[in-house]
Amino acid sequence: MRDKVILIAEDNANDEELTLRALRKNNISNSIVMVRDGQEALDYLFGDGAHATRDLNQRPQVMLLDINLPKINGLEVLKRIRADERTKTMPVVILTSSAEERDRLVAYANFANSYIRKPVDFDQFTESVRELGLYWLVLNEPPPRPRAAATS
Amino acid sequence: MKAPRTTIQRKLVIAIMLTSTTALVLTGAVLVAREAMSLRSLLGTELSTRAGILAANSTAALAFQNPEDARQVLSALRTDPSVVAAALYDGQGRLFATYPNGAAPPLVPRKPGRPGRLFEKENLVVNQSVAEGANRLGTLYIKTDLRQLDQGVRVHALVVLGALLGSIGVSFALSTWLQRRIAQPVLVLAKAARAVSERKDYSIRVETVSDDELGLLAGAFNDMLAEIQERDTALRSSEGRLRQLNAELEQRVAARTIELETSNKELEAFSYSVSHDLRAPLRAIDGFSKALLEDCGEALGETGTRHLERVRNATRQMGLLIDDLLNLARLSRAELRREPVDLGAVGQEIAASLEQAQPERKVSFVLAPDLRADGDSQLLRVVLDNLLRNAWKFTSKHPTGRIELGQTGTNGRRVFFVADDGAGFDMAHADLLFAPFQRLHRQSDFEGTGVGLATVQRIIHRHGGRLWAEGAVDKGATFYFTLWENGS
Amino acid sequence: MPLLSPPARRRLLRGLVPALALLGLCATSSASVANALEVKRTPEYDLKAVFLYQFAHFVEWPARAFADAHSPITIGVLGEDPFGGGLDEIVTNEAVGGRKLVVRRYRTVDEIDTCHVLFICPSEASRMAAILTRLKGRNLLTVGDTKDFVAQNGIVGFTLARNRLKLRINLAAADTAKLIISSKLLRQAEIVHPKGSQG
Repeated sequence: MRDKVILIAEDNANDEELTLRALRKNNISNSIVMVRDGQEALDYLFGDGAHATRDLNQRPQVMLLDINLPKINGLEVLKRIRADERTKTMPVVILTSSAEERDRLVAYANFANSYIRKPVDFDQFTESVRELGLYWLVLNEPPPRPRAAATS
Repeated sequence: MKAPRTTIQRKLVIAIMLTSTTALVLTGAVLVAREAMSLRSLLGTELSTRAGILAANSTAALAFQNPEDARQVLSALRTDPSVVAAALYDGQGRLFATYPNGAAPPLVPRKPGRPGRLFEKENLVVNQSVAEGANRLGTLYIKTDLRQLDQGVRVHALVVLGALLGSIGVSFALSTWLQRRIAQPVLVLAKAARAVSERKDYSIRVETVSDDELGLLAGAFNDMLAEIQERDTALRSSEGRLRQLNAELEQRVAARTIELETSNKELEAFSYSVSHDLRAPLRAIDGFSKALLEDCGEALGETGTRHLERVRNATRQMGLLIDDLLNLARLSRAELRREPVDLGAVGQEIAASLEQAQPERKVSFVLAPDLRADGDSQLLRVVLDNLLRNAWKFTSKHPTGRIELGQTGTNGRRVFFVADDGAGFDMAHADLLFAPFQRLHRQSDFEGTGVGLATVQRIIHRHGGRLWAEGAVDKGATFYFTLWENGS
Repeated sequence: MPLLSPPARRRLLRGLVPALALLGLCATSSASVANALEVKRTPEYDLKAVFLYQFAHFVEWPARAFADAHSPITIGVLGEDPFGGGLDEIVTNEAVGGRKLVVRRYRTVDEIDTCHVLFICPSEASRMAAILTRLKGRNLLTVGDTKDFVAQNGIVGFTLARNRLKLRINLAAADTAKLIISSKLLRQAEIVHPKGSQG
């Protein structure tokens, strides 16, 4: 379970804190990588910028992606993830405040694996995070590692 | 408009010629006939007179048995070439003398005829008694050839015919001249009318020459054209103004459309930011309140805990409000589908879910069958959900309740309704029912954001219908709605 | 136009039909006729009778020759009547210009009173000159068929030429008798101007 990294793209410090709290409360002990904007998320995934030295073989088990991100919008980030061979198959869950139909449509059109709306009620939020972790980290079998990444 | 080249001219000439020719021919015929008759009569009289003279001259020849003298008397007829034959008969009717000398039957009759004149086919025959006083001596017979008369008549007819032809020629010349005087103004008028109708040129004027009815007509035509020209000018200028106004209006509409689109985009951006930026702090408030309760619950004490619970309730309420508001805003923009919807079935599902949520409630649903309507099934579901949920909510203070979904017809138009026997409302405040965030009941009595009925009204309006309510405090409320009032 | 009465027509018929045809045959025997009442009728004298009748139509008498407007026209026969009743037959019931026609017979010239046409018979041939001299000055149309009748101041003379009865008229004598003879009649006749006669 050690290598099962959860990548969270979230610019709101409150939401970040609450998400981490909810994960902790649900005993999800996986290593969690936090990125604060879209650019950083892409840098992490493709080993650019501050994350140039990162081992790209370490791929997140799941990515929780907010839409309303600075620099590069979450949906644009999703598009780039799906456009790259290395991250094409990575599970991406949209976790956002937006209930906009348009956002949901664009997300699913770019092969988001789930679309979760953050409830205002923290109890509900905690419950959502618990179910999310349980599902993606325990129940769900991840896709095999991409060959290109494995050989490099 | 095809030009009827010379029709009126030809008609006029034909009319005049027909009239004058008919009159001339009739006159000519009468003249010839009269001439023929008078010639005959004259010839007859002449012959009778001559016969009388001859008879008088031949009395003695007969009386004294002198055929030579008789022949001599008859030979006087030589001067008239039209005389074919003549004969004298004595008192006993025997041939006494003949003319020409030696003439014999059948050139002359064997016996004298009755005295008098007789027109035969080609001849005029006179039998004249010869007598000296009362002394009847015999009969004179003269036969003349009518061909001479026919000749005379023919000559006369020729003269008349010549006069006739001359007159027709003169009348043709006259009628041509006259018709030009009559037809020319008409043709000018017609030409002008054609020009007007072809070129739409109302500045054309007809030159008025005659001061008769045609002149009047031309004057009236000119007046009419002047009037039309005036109106045409007015029409053109008002058309121009109208076009200008139209253009301005279009510009304004375009500007408004742009404004509207801008404001729509702004509204979208607004609701987008509301959904994100308003909810995120709320979630933080609720989340950290919960964290506070969990982490420092004991330090807060009972009062602090209760206060924090209040904060969390208010936060959740505000979350609901934001969601409802966003829904309401989205309704205005969402595309409207039109499809057959069974409102009864939808109502049934909603009623079932309500009963399932609160199985302890004793509420009877009365759902009319066959509540078919046209509209957006999702939006109409929102309408029924709101109305039935309202009814369910406002009957909650009563031990039992009755909720009805049905339809009535007024003036052949279908009116759907949702009626309950719950808390009802004061009709004095009926106009506040559908305004967003307006509530007629205390939050402590009935929960709600006050957006539900506003949403319903928005949906009904988008379906071209009306929504209204009747009710009385504690006597229940009935919500009526129609769909597509302006045509199905 | 006055019409002839049927009897007159019959008489004329009888008188004229044979007249021309038989004239020649009968001419020779005419001289031997002696007695008026006994003599047979001949075509020649029948024709002469008709002529006598016709003279009344073509001759005008002065007014004084008649007693009044209705006085008859008298046709006289002096001497031995050669007509054998033919003249009477023709004249009976005839009228000219409102005057009846009557036939009178005279044996001598002295017997003649009112007379308008006088046929002097051949029987008087020997006394002809004396008779005519006697009658001179009277309004009387003297007619005769004797030789030189007109030369003896007779007014109308009958002559036969080529089997036809011809007339000779002494206009001077007629003038003396104050008679106007119709030109029509004159046309039918040979006008004779006797030498020595008063014109």
